[in-house]
Amino acid sequence: MPREIITLQVGQCGNQIGMEFWKQLCLEHGISKDGILEDFATQGGDRKDVFFYQADDQHYIPRALLIDLEPRVINGIQNSDYRNLYNHENIFVSDHGGGAGNNWASGYDQGQHVEEEIMDMIDREADGSDSLEGFVLCHSIAGGTGSGMGSYLLETLNDRYSKKLVQTYSVFPNQMETSDVVVQPYNSLLTLKRLTLNADCVVVLDNTALNRIAVERLHLSNPSFAQTNSLVSTVMSASTTTLRYPGYMNNDLVGLLASLIPTPRCHFLMTGYTPLTVERQANLIRKTTVLDVMRRLLQAKNIMVSSYARTKDASQAKYISILNIIQGEVDPTQVHESLQRIRERKLVNFIEWGPASIQVALSRKSPYVQTAHRVSGLMLASHTSIRHLFSKTLSQYEKLRKKQAFIDVYRKFPMFADNDLSEFDESRDIIESLVDEYKACESPDYIKWGMEDPNNMLTGEGNATGSLDSKSVA
Amino acid sequence: MNQTVVTNFEKPIGCYSPSVQELIVIDDVLSSMTGIEGRYILIKAVRGKNDDIAFLVDPSMDLALQELAKRIFPLCKSFLLISQFVESRSQFQSGLVNHAFSAALRALLLDYQAMVSQLEHQFRLGRLSLQGLWFYCQPMMRSMQALSTVIQKASVNNISGSAVLNLLQSQAKAMAGDNAVRMMLEKMTQCASSAYMSILERWVYEGIIDDPYGEFFIAEDKSLQKESLTQDYEAKYWRQRYSLKDGIPSFLENIAGTILTTGKYLNVMRECGHNVQVPPSENSKLMSFGSNHHYLECIKAAYNFASGELLNLIKEKYDLTGRLRSIKHYLLLDQGDFLVHFMDIARDELAKKPDEVSVEKLQSLLDLALRTTAAAADPFHEGLTCVVERCSLLRRLGTFNDLEVTLRNSGDNDLEEPVSITSLETFSLSYKVHWPLSIVLSRKALTKYQLLFRFLFHCKHVDRQLCGAWQVHQGVRALNTSGTAISRSSLLCRSMLKFINSLLHYLTFEVIEPNWHLMYNRLQSANSIDEVIQHHDFFLDKCLRECLLLLPELLKKVERLKSMCLQYAAATQWLISSSIELHNPEEPIDDSKGLNKAKWKSGQVLKSTTRNMAVTDSVLKFEKEFNTELQSLGSILSNNSQAEPYLSHLAQWLLGVKSEKNGL
Repeated sequence: MPREIITLQVGQCGNQIGMEFWKQLCLEHGISKDGILEDFATQGGDRKDVFFYQADDQHYIPRALLIDLEPRVINGIQNSDYRNLYNHENIFVSDHGGGAGNNWASGYDQGQHVEEEIMDMIDREADGSDSLEGFVLCHSIAGGTGSGMGSYLLETLNDRYSKKLVQTYSVFPNQMETSDVVVQPYNSLLTLKRLTLNADCVVVLDNTALNRIAVERLHLSNPSFAQTNSLVSTVMSASTTTLRYPGYMNNDLVGLLASLIPTPRCHFLMTGYTPLTVERQANLIRKTTVLDVMRRLLQAKNIMVSSYARTKDASQAKYISILNIIQGEVDPTQVHESLQRIRERKLVNFIEWGPASIQVALSRKSPYVQTAHRVSGLMLASHTSIRHLFSKTLSQYEKLRKKQAFIDVYRKFPMFADNDLSEFDESRDIIESLVDEYKACESPDYIKWGMEDPNNMLTGEGNATGSLDSKSVA
Repeated sequence: MNQTVVTNFEKPIGCYSPSVQELIVIDDVLSSMTGIEGRYILIKAVRGKNDDIAFLVDPSMDLALQELAKRIFPLCKSFLLISQFVESRSQFQSGLVNHAFSAALRALLLDYQAMVSQLEHQFRLGRLSLQGLWFYCQPMMRSMQALSTVIQKASVNNISGSAVLNLLQSQAKAMAGDNAVRMMLEKMTQCASSAYMSILERWVYEGIIDDPYGEFFIAEDKSLQKESLTQDYEAKYWRQRYSLKDGIPSFLENIAGTILTTGKYLNVMRECGHNVQVPPSENSKLMSFGSNHHYLECIKAAYNFASGELLNLIKEKYDLTGRLRSIKHYLLLDQGDFLVHFMDIARDELAKKPDEVSVEKLQSLLDLALRTTAAAADPFHEGLTCVVERCSLLRRLGTFNDLEVTLRNSGDNDLEEPVSITSLETFSLSYKVHWPLSIVLSRKALTKYQLLFRFLFHCKHVDRQLCGAWQVHQGVRALNTSGTAISRSSLLCRSMLKFINSLLHYLTFEVIEPNWHLMYNRLQSANSIDEVIQHHDFFLDKCLRECLLLLPELLKKVERLKSMCLQYAAATQWLISSSIELHNPEEPIDDSKGLNKAKWKSGQVLKSTTRNMAVTDSVLKFEKEFNTELQSLGSILSNNSQAEPYLSHLAQWLLGVKSEKNGL
């Protein structure tokens, strides 16, 4: 089966997200909790094989690896209604079950120690694919396992599967509350380095925004992690509909990502989804139009990244690219009219240094899932305001680092032994340059930015300021 | 001559008294009325221009009697003319209408002769005077005269079939003042048309032409077989196997097209082995042709039945909509996942020249791709076959005679095939269509689908090459590339991807999908197969036009831009590798901490100044050429959007927000 994707669920958060994701996919494709095709699922034409493979006994089994360093969440999965869905050989829980203690270094080190075991699982899954396209990693960047072990997996995948795509759904920590994890800035910074260097695409899911959405849009007074994680799985399933329900375009992952990511490192995407509902609203059928959906996707309240709403920086922030995946009963002529209206009202602030417009993919939806809305939409966008999330992390990191707070728990691991903290410094440098690049994207002259040589290595060929001679550029 | 020489031995009639003469004259006139010469009245055929008939009277006859006798002679003459006509038109080669007309005339002559017998009877009873004879002949006189006119015109032109019917009808209209004669002529028309109506009935109720003498107004070309529809570009079978001839009966003129179509539909169904016949009923007989227009209702009912039945057959049993949807999947790529897989596994074969490629190998690879993607669920995917054309799309369009494309003479040079043309530029798919769906999905229709496919396929190829270039850029993400052209190259790659994705989006979601929806809705409410054909052809022509395939100036611009994208994508590997040189650590470090550091350090970029400049120049050159060409295309699109409003859609997609700020 061509163009398969293997999903790696790492850590508690990653496995919770993944569990919700597979639930959703089973519902959409008419697959029972045991992986058996339901009697009513006879329409065909959908691509189950991108995410599932069919065992010899005709069971559909997720192409998924469930990885954690402590057993609680995975035990929950193995005791849930979906216990028979997963391949038990694809589940890894460390022998000691003690977790990573919210320590990136611990997660990374443990990942290193069990590399061969996990890579055997990945290799076996990859061998079972006819034409593997890439990997999707679900994790949190702030804990120990998702961040540390996830980081190690990203590096290892880059080494061993350098031709394959790596996409992550990365949950960023909630910055509106006192965090349970005091060292999350350290973990986030170290993870961000790997997300920058070793991933092709990072879908940023900001717990600050997810909580706000859960409270304001879903009216949950005190949302649990399970509830915010189900929002993530909604995004995951919506962003993969064009792969699972083939249409004119975006039939593979690279086609989806390449149009959104302008330069190799500016691959952090934010998402918006509308409409978001809870069960009790299911009996209300709304007459939602394409324009409604596309306009709401641009509203801050529907966007799952908190930095988008910063008013003081809103005037400078710009969209680099937008892809709206619209599902449901859509008259295709409405799409152009909707885009026209959005354009006329100047609802989108695009970059000026290159062609940009909202790209639209019309996707079929599952015939087996009843929804309250005839039309729904997901926005995947590259937006320069994402840099504020990174700046926030840098700022928090600097505070902790200055005080040498909790550094000792990192020194216990080989990467930081002998008081060698250069990994922190290198990570900070990379994230700073990432912030600078996103900031440069806001300038009309961005196109020349990357060619400037801060080290003056072009001495004699360029001018004194380190940029190319204007004649060469012209 | 003062006197006609009397050949018989009788004395001249003048020697008798007038009363005796009257008796003799009555006897002679009665004989003349049946074409038999009397003693004193002779019948002579006058040789001349008109082949006329003359009646000669003994000049010694009493003048009053002569006058009365001469008034009756036209009737006698009409009888003779009509009798001759009946004899001559009863020959088998005269046709069924003439046969029927002759039969009707013969029936009239029998009535006439019966009248003569009656008169003879009265004469023998001594109750008939010459004046009375004249009186009794009056009603028949005008009818016979009118018919005499008809048959003379018919004889002069030697007409048959519908011409006879039309003549009768026009004479009936000319006799509007004489109700009795008009009614007689109309009755005559009914009789004559009964045979014709039998032919018509067979055609509109069974779709069979039973026309041994070639009188029916529909021509059948038996040399055209339905199998030719899959090969014959002009779809002659549908348009020319049955066609209207000259000479349509005037009372059928307004619905001749309907009649043609009705039988055509029934014939199609019989060719499918679907033996359908318009259900017979008391009211369905067409024999009752007359002023009540009942026959028109019958024909309309037959048409509605045949049309509905054929449409139902094609929609239900042969699943036209399912076939169209299937073609949409494969030739219009609305389920494009099979193509992604096919392009991967057939990459090497498609890179060959058209005359080197193995179509059989491509076919097996296509079958593999179809079996392993969403296409496997489609019951119609077996109909798909590979085609490798011999020339580029632009040249192919130039030879597409049916399209209204006028290439400038100076443009001929542009049609020179590029030396490097590969099967990626000439690959196409075809679809096996069998009767009766080949009525709609004709050779011409499939050719248009193929043109659309070739364009979409090549755009997809460009897109995949650019995605590959994008992945090459992603591969150096971990390196410090500042000071090189990699960033600039990334942005150029992005612009090119934006171009090709916008073009593909326009072609699919702005052109094909909306037009498909329109056609689909129209097909649901179509009342006849010809409407289906019309809607389908309109859909294809509109797609071709809005996809720029009928606008060669624009198409050349697009092809040039795509060519630039391909050149750039092919050069990307060199551009990237020339920008970086990985420095291998001279000494391996054993401990894990060292390995991690070495992993990072090995990413340092050693920039070769000279080569970096060459790469930078290449990237800038690509960028300048691409942007110049894109702006040029944008200008042409804007200039043409007045005449073709849909081009403004494409301009907006290709140029995006930036151009709008620039006022484009």
